[in-house]
Amino acid sequence: MGVRVNALTCTGCMACEMACGYHRDDAFALLSSCIVAYRTREKKDYFGVILKEEDSLVIARPEGMEIRKIGDAGGGGGDSSAKPMLLRESCDLCAGMDGGPMCARFCPVDAISVE
Amino acid sequence: MEYLSSGKILIVDLAAGETREEELEDDLISKRIGGIGITTHLLGNYKDQDPIVMGCGLLTGTLYPASDLSIITAKSPVTKTVCHLPVALKAGIEFKYCGFDYLVILGKSANPSMLWIHDGVADLMDASAVWGKDVWQTTDAWRKEMGDDLIQTLVIGNCGERCSDLAQVSVNYWGSGDIWGFGSLFGEKRLKGIAMRGMGLLEVAEAEGFVDHSIKVLSALKQAPWGGKTGITDIVTAMGRQDVSDWMAPMVHRNSSSYNVPYPYSTFLYLDEDPALLKEPEGVEPGIMITSPYVAIAAKDSGMSASEAFKTIRSCLRYGIDPEAAMQISAAEGKKTRGEMEAALDSMSRKDTVGSRPPFSHYCPGHPLFADFGTGKDSGDFEEWWMRRQALAYLFGVDPMFMLMSPEISAQSMMEAVRLGTGVDISEETLNFLVTELCA
Ligand code: SF4
Ligand code: SF4
Repeated sequence: MGVRVNALTCTGCMACEMACGYHRDDAFALLSSCIVAYRTREKKDYFGVILKEEDSLVIARPEGMEIRKIGDAGGGGGDSSAKPMLLRESCDLCAGMDGGPMCARFCPVDAISVE
Repeated sequence: MEYLSSGKILIVDLAAGETREEELEDDLISKRIGGIGITTHLLGNYKDQDPIVMGCGLLTGTLYPASDLSIITAKSPVTKTVCHLPVALKAGIEFKYCGFDYLVILGKSANPSMLWIHDGVADLMDASAVWGKDVWQTTDAWRKEMGDDLIQTLVIGNCGERCSDLAQVSVNYWGSGDIWGFGSLFGEKRLKGIAMRGMGLLEVAEAEGFVDHSIKVLSALKQAPWGGKTGITDIVTAMGRQDVSDWMAPMVHRNSSSYNVPYPYSTFLYLDEDPALLKEPEGVEPGIMITSPYVAIAAKDSGMSASEAFKTIRSCLRYGIDPEAAMQISAAEGKKTRGEMEAALDSMSRKDTVGSRPPFSHYCPGHPLFADFGTGKDSGDFEEWWMRRQALAYLFGVDPMFMLMSPEISAQSMMEAVRLGTGVDISEETLNFLVTELCA
């Protein structure tokens, strides 16, 4: 079971990122999130969401989802410049949180599902 | 203030080239709440030193829906009154996480300067290298120099440097709701702009209660009547301009949201690429983002083709001029082509004095959008309602456009969020007193 994002529905609002940060820190912050809205190509309007799982990075791009094994070339960490994805905790599906995965609960357009 | 706040005010003296910090007293928050309640207070405190004040709301950057907003408050050279510029997209929350809740900029710099605020540190730096550069070049240069493409900027272009009262303070690349000529205030101060990057952390007094409250509001919003509507196109349609929507629709690439805003009203148009392209385009600057319905309407009313009109808007964004005003002035002067309009940018000026305007930016239409606020459907006069909704948005740090679509985001709901988030109980009396003062 894992978190999946429909990048075409996503509006890049970052609510999932903040919700995950809250799950990690019991406060509002972005540095600990394992789900990140990537938005470094602002002038191209090219955005989506990247998620760190135990063994892989799930990259939800507008043109489709890519699952990249951690350790493979590329790494995919460049999309979150504040702190590389590989240095972040893996998604634990919000273990211990009432109500389930926080990112899905706070996504305002229901772009996130748990499959 | 311990919660939902960094508890600090940054004072920048451009003439002396110095910065200092002051504590944000709890007492001030109890009396003035935050956002424009406090920016106007600080503006008054420093009124003899040519102040520009920036601030955020207590809810800015939290999980409360649509909490994207910071504000710049100053005396407008256009209206000669105190006005407020909404800073949304992702720049509003970047400011909040920079380590300061308020920023007071005083005096004038002798040389071009820029302010770089990041993680509780403020550096006043030389900006000679970008003086003369346009808005896009400046944002690109600062992101490259700092090695971080997520830096958010508030920046002027050549229009601001020549101190035109048509100049905007632009958010990153995309202009702003600045109809106040705040860009000229930056130009007079020889302040090219502010670059922001914040990775702070906000403690929450009753974290679980705050999150539960926010999720309840969001759940109610998800039942809202605007479900399925999207972008500036549906907003202009709701304003009675379906023709504008139809005209620009073939150029729409995607719609995106400001931080945590449920309705995506930032509409990106591809001017040099196929709008249906999903892959990352090869061209570095394929289009523009439009965040104001009035810019779309002014583009349509210019009489040009959509492609030519929005390319003209791109030139305005780069130049740092209010695109709506520029299009209107050009049209009034009989200019009909992109070439004629672009050639006139350097000498463009306002021909008429602007009468009184409300202190909130009119980039948000003056009536409810999609939703029924119980104001009476036939009422043509929403002015008082609109002023109050805008004042609430600017006080608490909630998106002012979304405030027109969301009766669920009520004053009571925001006060409850503040109580849970900070432990500060704001009375209705305090709130009503402030709203009345700010709308006067
Ligand atoms: S399920 Fe929880 S841990 Fe996993 S990405 Fe979402 S918020 Fe983060
Ligand atoms: S919360 Fe939803 S819409 Fe917002 S960035 Fe995350 S996936 Fe996208």
